[in-house]
Amino acid sequence: MSGFLAEVERRAFKQAMFATRDEDAALDIVQDAMLKLAEKYADKPANELPMLFQRILQNTIHDHFRRQKVRNTWTTLLSAFGKGDEKDDDFDPLETLQAKSDSNAMADPARQFEQAQIVGMIEQALTRLPARQREAFLLRYWEELDVAEAAAAMGCSEGSVKTHCSRAVHALAVMLEAKGLKL
Amino acid sequence: MIRDQHEFAKKLTAYLDNGAAQLKAGTVYRLSQARGKALAALGQPAWTSEGRAAQVHAYAGAGRGTASPGGGLRKGAWLWLGVVLMAAAGFGYQQWQVYQQTREIEELDVQILSSDLPIDAYLDRGFQTWLTRFQP
Repeated sequence: MSGFLAEVERRAFKQAMFATRDEDAALDIVQDAMLKLAEKYADKPANELPMLFQRILQNTIHDHFRRQKVRNTWTTLLSAFGKGDEKDDDFDPLETLQAKSDSNAMADPARQFEQAQIVGMIEQALTRLPARQREAFLLRYWEELDVAEAAAAMGCSEGSVKTHCSRAVHALAVMLEAKGLKL
Repeated sequence: MIRDQHEFAKKLTAYLDNGAAQLKAGTVYRLSQARGKALAALGQPAWTSEGRAAQVHAYAGAGRGTASPGGGLRKGAWLWLGVVLMAAAGFGYQQWQVYQQTREIEELDVQILSSDLPIDAYLDRGFQTWLTRFQP
């Protein structure tokens, strides 16, 4: 379980980020999903974990949006309250450090910059996709679930997954081409 | 437009992998903390006191990185305090508006009653026309 969570946590965080565009919310979603998986499905065979985790993750993202919809009015009204003690939370010294593992610190800086720009463009394009298309694309191609597993994780038919994937890929190609990026 | 959808998608996900590998150290640390909490809760049923405690501790929030178990409760308390204050402010505003309206009506009444002009004059259309025509 530990190895599995370590393997998926970054991608899960990114998925939540693409959906919410809020780092704190994304971290909460990933933590929630990990907790639910550990509490309820720890005894499941290892090959079932990816699909189960993705299903939990997608549901947790949807729950987040449902809760946000309800809270939105109050959050706007109460934005003036409780701001005082959050000032300290805004600064995190850890944010100033660079990750040492899995980084390509030795690579050519110009190439690194170019890579970062491309990644940024792709991530931005992904956030602009309709939610279902983005889900299907990420589950099918990034998480490498097969069509049936992706359909189970998304709670829709296999045909829908294929349609969403196809539309997502075309939309991404158009968006990236418009930005002058050809892969 | 795209000859091989799968191949194109694979190229994109390779870049996404790159992006995921370049996460900020703070985010990576918080993710590992979240993983630790999940592993601590491993196999603990949610309804046992230990499981509940672990859950409360975990729900303190990876997002804010707060380690105190009371973080969530404190936020809840602030939220409720805000709700109560908003309700009180709304009620106060409504009462103030009613009071203002009453005062305006009172002032108007006093002006009409203390005027030399009889009240019927205000209802007379001819008088209104005369007023608008011969106003200095």
